[in-house]
Amino acid sequence: MTIAAEANPTRARALSNRWTRPALGLIVPVAAALAWEFIVRMGWASGRLAPPPSVIFATFVDLARSGDLQRNTLVTLTRVAAGFGIGVATATVLGAAAGYSPLVRRLLDPSLQALRAIPSIAWVPLFILWLGIFEASKVTLIAVGVFFPVYLGLMGAIQSVDRKLVEVGRAFRLSDIGMVRRILLPAVLPAYVIALRSGLGLGWMFVVAAELMGASEGLGYLLIDGQQLGKPAEIVTAIVAFAIVGKSTDWLIALAAAPFLRWEDVVRQE
Amino acid sequence: MLVLDRVGKTYANGVHALGGVSLTVALGEIVAVIGGSGCGKSTLLRAIGGLDAPSAGAILLDGERVTAPHEKIGIIFQEPRLLPWLKVADNVGFGLGERPKRERAQRVAAALERVGLADKAAMWPRELSGGQAQRVAIARALVPRPEVLLLDEPFSALDAFTRADLQDHLLDLWADAKPTLLLVTHDVEEAIVLADRIMVMRPRPGRIFDEIAVELPRPRDRHSAAFDFAKRCVLTALDRSLDRATTGATDEPKAEAGAALWW
Repeated sequence: MTIAAEANPTRARALSNRWTRPALGLIVPVAAALAWEFIVRMGWASGRLAPPPSVIFATFVDLARSGDLQRNTLVTLTRVAAGFGIGVATATVLGAAAGYSPLVRRLLDPSLQALRAIPSIAWVPLFILWLGIFEASKVTLIAVGVFFPVYLGLMGAIQSVDRKLVEVGRAFRLSDIGMVRRILLPAVLPAYVIALRSGLGLGWMFVVAAELMGASEGLGYLLIDGQQLGKPAEIVTAIVAFAIVGKSTDWLIALAAAPFLRWEDVVRQE
Repeated sequence: MLVLDRVGKTYANGVHALGGVSLTVALGEIVAVIGGSGCGKSTLLRAIGGLDAPSAGAILLDGERVTAPHEKIGIIFQEPRLLPWLKVADNVGFGLGERPKRERAQRVAAALERVGLADKAAMWPRELSGGQAQRVAIARALVPRPEVLLLDEPFSALDAFTRADLQDHLLDLWADAKPTLLLVTHDVEEAIVLADRIMVMRPRPGRIFDEIAVELPRPRDRHSAAFDFAKRCVLTALDRSLDRATTGATDEPKAEAGAALWW
């Protein structure tokens, strides 16, 4: 009886938590947006440099209707995808080698750590000289940004694989390939997914930097265009588009990895 | 038959952990190796398991030299060491290698049934209690049907009730196929409950100091007078092993060695 009596309120609380927690987070931004809309409507502020939500929404719809928004988003997305792909591929190969082999680590890691200390944006002039002002230099910059978190994350994850579990693999006489497939890979995966997600975050950051420095299309171009033509609503629209696409791509990685990381959820639920 | 022939181990840093241990264990025998910390008992077990090669001597299983993990030798560690990304059933089947799916499933199911955890097959290791996890580890080690099962202080991380329960359970499982059990422990009671023979080791370098045969009928009553007597015998031997070791070694005060023994 006591158990049943206690089970109900807990469940009710869990249910209400599920809806009230995100709702609570919405109160401040929604209230701020409504307040700004109200202030501009009442004529207390012009809203010329900080357009109210209704104007931003209208600009968003306009840009979407003309196809400009989609075209520029696609260009940016392609750049991020190319840079992310190259960065992840290189970082995975080098990170795995440096994590697995002490020799490779001693050989490569000091140089890579030294390169990491350079703020990646500092490469831009050099990349432009080497690769021109078009796609190649932009993609390279993004790839450099993506590379370091993935490399570091993977190398660290391999190094910190529980030696005791590796020993279980040895005791059951796994081959080298078996050891990688059945022990190392699953042990490393959670940290690798986190590294991919932070790499992707940096990729989005660097695409903005690359596009701000000279582009004729892309979401970053919309930012510059809005600044030069004095259209703040266009800038905010591009920012919102960045947020939506960035969050969606991150969510896609998380979604793709979820089936392999179900064993971790057990801990989180407790 | 498992034969240890003057097995010695000196680590790269110069520590002389094991100084020539010779021991013959018959098939189906249960032997406990006991001693204070640092007496090399775990080093010995790891050498037999093929995890750390000995630096001197030889380990022979049925006349065949053991230099790497052997398919007929299973090992159970102090911690369960289950793979957290595999369900309980897949952990149990981990050592079955390339066998057909149906045979795997049957043997895993039978093993889980045998350790009383059939209902936990689809759970993740983290959802198990410490005792349940160690039982899964025992099932995992037994499923490939080893001829020799090595146990490295397998129950020392568990509470007293669970420990006694698992000791009885281990004997139960042992009776199925009667593999050789070689158990390393620092728990005198555990050694007497389980073993036919108890090897007392002394440290620096680790070697066998005394051998005590336990000829009590199984199951052994932990509260009988005979059990108490056996306990006193082993404790006396342990005490003497350390006394002599400390008179030989000047680098450690005697009181500390005594404290390590009387846990």
